[in-house]
Amino acid sequence: MTRSVVPVTVVTLFLVALQLSIFSSLRFAGVVIMIVWLWPLCLGLVGRTGLGLWSASVAGVFFDTHSVTPFGLTALVALTLAYGASRLGKEGVGDLESAAWWVTPALAGVGGLFAPVLFVAAGALALDFSLWRNSVAPMMLVNALAFIVLARPVTRLARWSSGLGRSRR
Amino acid sequence: MVSERSRRRVWTTSVLALTLVILLYLTGGVVSGLRSAANLVVAPFSFVINAVARPIGHTLAGAINYSDVVAQNQKLRYQLGRAELRANEAWAFERQMLQLTTELHVPFVGALGTVSAQVSALSPTNFAATIDISKGRDDGVLAGMPVVANGGLIGHVIATTPHGATVQLISDTHSQVGVTFAKGTSDIIVAGNGVNHGLSATSVPFSSVITPGTKLSTDGLSGGLYPPGLPVASVKTVTLTPGAATYNLTLQPAADLRHLAYVDVVLWEPAA
Repeated sequence: MTRSVVPVTVVTLFLVALQLSIFSSLRFAGVVIMIVWLWPLCLGLVGRTGLGLWSASVAGVFFDTHSVTPFGLTALVALTLAYGASRLGKEGVGDLESAAWWVTPALAGVGGLFAPVLFVAAGALALDFSLWRNSVAPMMLVNALAFIVLARPVTRLARWSSGLGRSRR
Repeated sequence: MVSERSRRRVWTTSVLALTLVILLYLTGGVVSGLRSAANLVVAPFSFVINAVARPIGHTLAGAINYSDVVAQNQKLRYQLGRAELRANEAWAFERQMLQLTTELHVPFVGALGTVSAQVSALSPTNFAATIDISKGRDDGVLAGMPVVANGGLIGHVIATTPHGATVQLISDTHSQVGVTFAKGTSDIIVAGNGVNHGLSATSVPFSSVITPGTKLSTDGLSGGLYPPGLPVASVKTVTLTPGAATYNLTLQPAADLRHLAYVDVVLWEPAA
């Protein structure tokens, strides 16, 4: 893990910058695609739990400092996704090497579908009950679709940066 | 053994990360400092990404939308001409209004100064309707000041830095604006419905005469967030829940909140 921390951190910071510079203005049906959630999820899916949690913390904290929503919520959702995905990744479910081609996108899609709900639930824990008034359904759908499409390339990036090498599939 | 150690490391990392997040959240004062620090770290990465992605994006968008841009430009010239005509006509009325309000000691929004600013960023999240603007404390922009654009109120400043500020839009779910209609005889609260959504008002008394198309402007009540007379929205639909003694309204913001490029910060501070 130690050797991979630097490349993973650099990639994480690049993705945060990409999220803030490009994806915040590039909205689909008015919805922002949350790359900062997909990245830790993919690191989890390749079985790198520690790196997944680390990247979730870094991406979440850096993103939260740019957002006016309660501090720590994005990080909390990213940590939950990374941890959940890594449980599957440890069993070989979800990684490009060991699972059927559609499993990684499908799991990422499920993550994208439930991430906005997790955010609203985490908001309630932080005593912010107004988050549910935003339309969560379009956020769930758009993020699920985007995660399905982006899952494989991002998982390849996760494998490469975490020192697992290139996938043969 | 290895698995046990690895599991312990994972738990330690997650507990540490969570503790850090909770600590940072609880110590709210640290957040503003962290934001500046985070900006410093992310800025070089953003610079590289912008340098690569922007020209590609602009080339593609320019090639695809060229005819639309020309048509839009012509339309804008026409609208600008009409607006200038109206502004000239309004000048005389505004002068009269200013004289009257000065005599009555009522603040008049037309007499307040403004600072023009460019929109530098949209909200990075789906859960907050905010924009970042290019003017901050060094230009006289302070937290609480109202912001107008595209012919109406768009929100108020919630945070400032020396060279920038964050504006909470009236469509944000935390936003509430006191408005008036019917020649100032009725006051209601307009609430935001979230990013990309209109506004709404609930519990409007039966006694109010309100129909679709009615225009609402800030009430300027003492202690309120906004000066009087800023256009906020017009009524889209009026609904009545069976058995209820009040109306619910859906509203169309006076300003187009989806296409904000330049805004004016009104140099007016709410009473403490």
